[in-house]
Amino acid sequence: MKRPAVPAAARRRVTAIAVMVLAACTAGCGQAASHQAPRPAPALAPSLNTSLATTAGTWAAVVMGDTGTSDNAFSQLFTRPAGSISWKLVTPPGVATNGGFVLATQGSRSLIAGFRPGVDLTFSALTATRDDGTNWQPGSPLQPGLADVPDALAAAPGGGRMLALLLGGTVTQSTDQGTHWTTLPGLRSLAGTAAGRRCSPAALTAVSLTPAGTQLAAATCTRPGIAGIFSYTAGRWQAAGPSLPASLAGTATGVLRLTSTPAGNEALLAAGTGTAASLLATWTGDGDAHWTVSAPLRLGAAAVRSAGFGSAGTAWAVLTDGRAETIGSPAATWRALPAVPPGTAALAPGPDGGFDALAVSGSKLTIWQLSPGATGWTTTQVINVPIEYGSS
Amino acid sequence: MNSGLNPSDPTIVNAFRSALLHQWLLAAAIFVLLLLVWGATRTWVIGQVPGGAAADDGAPPQGARAAARAPGAVTPPQAARAPAEPRARRLLRIGFGLLWVLDGILQAQPKMAAGMPSQVIEPTAASSPAWVQHVVNWGGTIWSYHPVQAGASAVWIQVGIGLWLIVAERGWWSRAAGLASVGWGLVVWVFGESFGGIFAPGLTWLFGAPGAALFYAVAGALIALPAGAWRTPRTGRLVLAATGTFFIGMAVLQAWPGRGFWHGAAGGQPGTLTAMVQSMARTSQPHVLSALVSSFGSFTAAHGFAVNLFTMIALAVLGAAFLTGRPRLARAAVTAATVLCLADWVLIEDLGFLGGLGTDPNSMIPMILVFTAGYLALTPAPEAAGEAAAAPIVVPWRDRLRPATVRGAVGAVSARTAAALGAIGVILVGAAPMAAASASRTADPIIAEAISGSTAPLDQPAPAFTLTSQDGRQVTLASLRGKVVLLTFLDPVCVSDCPLIAQEVRQAGQLLGADASHVELVAIVINPLYYSVAYTRAFDQQEHLGAVPNWLYLTGSPGQLENIWRGYGVTAEVSTGGAMIAHDDIAFILDRSGHIREELSDDPGPGTTSSTSSYAVLLADAARQTLGEP
Repeated sequence: MKRPAVPAAARRRVTAIAVMVLAACTAGCGQAASHQAPRPAPALAPSLNTSLATTAGTWAAVVMGDTGTSDNAFSQLFTRPAGSISWKLVTPPGVATNGGFVLATQGSRSLIAGFRPGVDLTFSALTATRDDGTNWQPGSPLQPGLADVPDALAAAPGGGRMLALLLGGTVTQSTDQGTHWTTLPGLRSLAGTAAGRRCSPAALTAVSLTPAGTQLAAATCTRPGIAGIFSYTAGRWQAAGPSLPASLAGTATGVLRLTSTPAGNEALLAAGTGTAASLLATWTGDGDAHWTVSAPLRLGAAAVRSAGFGSAGTAWAVLTDGRAETIGSPAATWRALPAVPPGTAALAPGPDGGFDALAVSGSKLTIWQLSPGATGWTTTQVINVPIEYGSS
Repeated sequence: MNSGLNPSDPTIVNAFRSALLHQWLLAAAIFVLLLLVWGATRTWVIGQVPGGAAADDGAPPQGARAAARAPGAVTPPQAARAPAEPRARRLLRIGFGLLWVLDGILQAQPKMAAGMPSQVIEPTAASSPAWVQHVVNWGGTIWSYHPVQAGASAVWIQVGIGLWLIVAERGWWSRAAGLASVGWGLVVWVFGESFGGIFAPGLTWLFGAPGAALFYAVAGALIALPAGAWRTPRTGRLVLAATGTFFIGMAVLQAWPGRGFWHGAAGGQPGTLTAMVQSMARTSQPHVLSALVSSFGSFTAAHGFAVNLFTMIALAVLGAAFLTGRPRLARAAVTAATVLCLADWVLIEDLGFLGGLGTDPNSMIPMILVFTAGYLALTPAPEAAGEAAAAPIVVPWRDRLRPATVRGAVGAVSARTAAALGAIGVILVGAAPMAAASASRTADPIIAEAISGSTAPLDQPAPAFTLTSQDGRQVTLASLRGKVVLLTFLDPVCVSDCPLIAQEVRQAGQLLGADASHVELVAIVINPLYYSVAYTRAFDQQEHLGAVPNWLYLTGSPGQLENIWRGYGVTAEVSTGGAMIAHDDIAFILDRSGHIREELSDDPGPGTTSSTSSYAVLLADAARQTLGEP
């Protein structure tokens, strides 16, 4: 049977219709597919919320205000003198704290605060106090600004030596209390050294000065099994980190925190990613020669929200799932604290050997205390901070 | 792209109203002038021919006819009797002419000048791909730099195109009006509607896809077709086929799973359609309408699947009916589609033009006009179908220049043609100032005036100072005599306003060009804690001011600085809680003899590129004006 012929005009019309329908469908399909969101990787870098303990007292920096926006989030500094149970607000005035600040101590009552760049400010102002935050004396600015890590600034007790990690991986040091700064070889130079090639550093994450005055820098290594801690000796960066346990030989590791204590150096390491991520503490008591590495703390699906060091080699970490963990010394293991109160930004060593939790809700800071042996946190203080929203 | 100003900012609104009033007077003057010229010309032409008399519109006057009959005269083409305009074309021309006029009137709403970029253009483009946003931002930035001129031009261009379409019934004047509609329709579609959202997720016929302005462009293209195209059903068949294809495509999109239209609500959240209807119900509008839309939103939330199923089937069936090209089926489809479109227009699009920033009645009315015209063209009226086109009379150019021919042609100019010329004049009234403004790369100073208020002329000695520059030199006010000084106060560690003000001052220096050598750009530190030269240098480095030759950033001891602040009436307060120093944002223009001649707030407001540019123009103008004073 012969099929009826289709007129040319009709064929053209059908073809045009088919093309247009196909185009419409394609547009729709493409848009539907674009809804798939990328899977976020767990953030291992801790925030600038942290605490710092000296023999004269404890300092804590926490972000308050509208923490979801850069314009209305303001970092605040609090201090609690040794022996006291009360915290007081001592945020240094004169510079907006939208970018947060990093802290370094030079002595029992002295503290240097470095303002991180924020909003349209791209360099860092420095300021120092010698009287527990009552009076502040501005130092010289750092340009470019301080890096966005809690250990971007370090100071040696007495003598005026300081070390700073700047944006872009520049390391700079001062020997006159921050008046003049000289640049040390930074990330690129470090990557070119033998030690750097073994680590293949992605970024510098911390700087520190040992009690002996040696400059230390820490990095995230992309090569597995390497803890990226380096010392600056004889005019170049050399490997100074711990040997990691064999179980981490295939795992990329980064240094989250690095500090010096009178006894030596202390660091927190993050190993692995995703559900295999873990946290380790490491200590050295004899310069940077021999390190002790703790057993890993499995993070599961959580990330480190904030971390810090207490006195006598202790370290703590608050995780994004509400857990808080602490480790007391090289011989100890990680110990879980009771779940932290909502809004906990940082922990600080408590006055009686326990911990204080600094919980933030807008402009209100609530201090929760965990006494040694206690099974729960109790409120001890509430501080309302006069935040000027909209001032930035 | 936006200026960051409140759409209801009184300075902008008043300037917009003033511009509209002036341009309205100009447009009216153009019409009156054209009327006078037309009347005088006809009188002159008729006077040339004994027994001449005025004719009705659309037909040559008796005088012209007489002139055409004069020995040696050649009848101009306009004088030939033209067939009646096809119904379909008339519907499109009058319908879209009225729509353009309505859109122009909507563009005259007070919020349009300042609100269009931030409230209409930017949100519309937000969900589109980056390249679309890039294109749209270009247009939006021009608008935000010149809000008054842009707002007024949109009014007059649209009113002008509308009038042109309405009055130009036939001939190339009318076809040119169609082309104008195509051109401006595409401009609106690209920049105002972000390509009708066709590249954004959630494309749906219900919300107006593929954009109302595209229908204006399509209608314009149809109006621009040669007269012969309307005398056969082919044009109508094509229009209906395109409409049918579009409907079916939209039905497929409506049915496509995963696009959120099958659920009225899911997980406690409203579905795509419900959310759209609820947002429209929140628009400022009469209560009756808002209650109606809100009720439909509730109905959709409860019966989202049924609503989408009905929409999908209706679109598919109507599309298929249009595709058949059969008049009887098409007539039924036109009726049903009109009902469906009107329901969508009221219940989902919420009429489109309410809320103070509605630019048009959205897509349903234009769509109805287009497919109805398609049907009318498919079934031309018997007299139109049978009418033969008048053969155009080809007149050689040499003959056209003969006095009698010219008289005939002038006499044949109808009132409609004169009105069409007037409509083009209206378009030019709006377009010319905008074209002139957009040639400037800087923003209109009215944005800065809207943020800071007007400046006050002064004439008082400026308080003296001796301070240290960023490079360690001592600088006194006396040492700056002979130059105009643009003086401001900046906090070197300020995180927001001061960097913006510094950029405005830097741009002002650039705008001064050769005059900059007679102007000193001076800032004095306004921070009682962070005031050292190290900080002024750091600020200069941050703001790239090191290479500006006439830039001085001065500082001194806290005591020196406080005296100067007091002298100039500015304050700096140390704030708590991590806030920066609270200080006045103020600028002074000092003349060559060291007198303050102008004081202006240099609060940078939202700090958008347009407001920054606008401030720079304001500062440069003030400095230039002071330079020109004796």
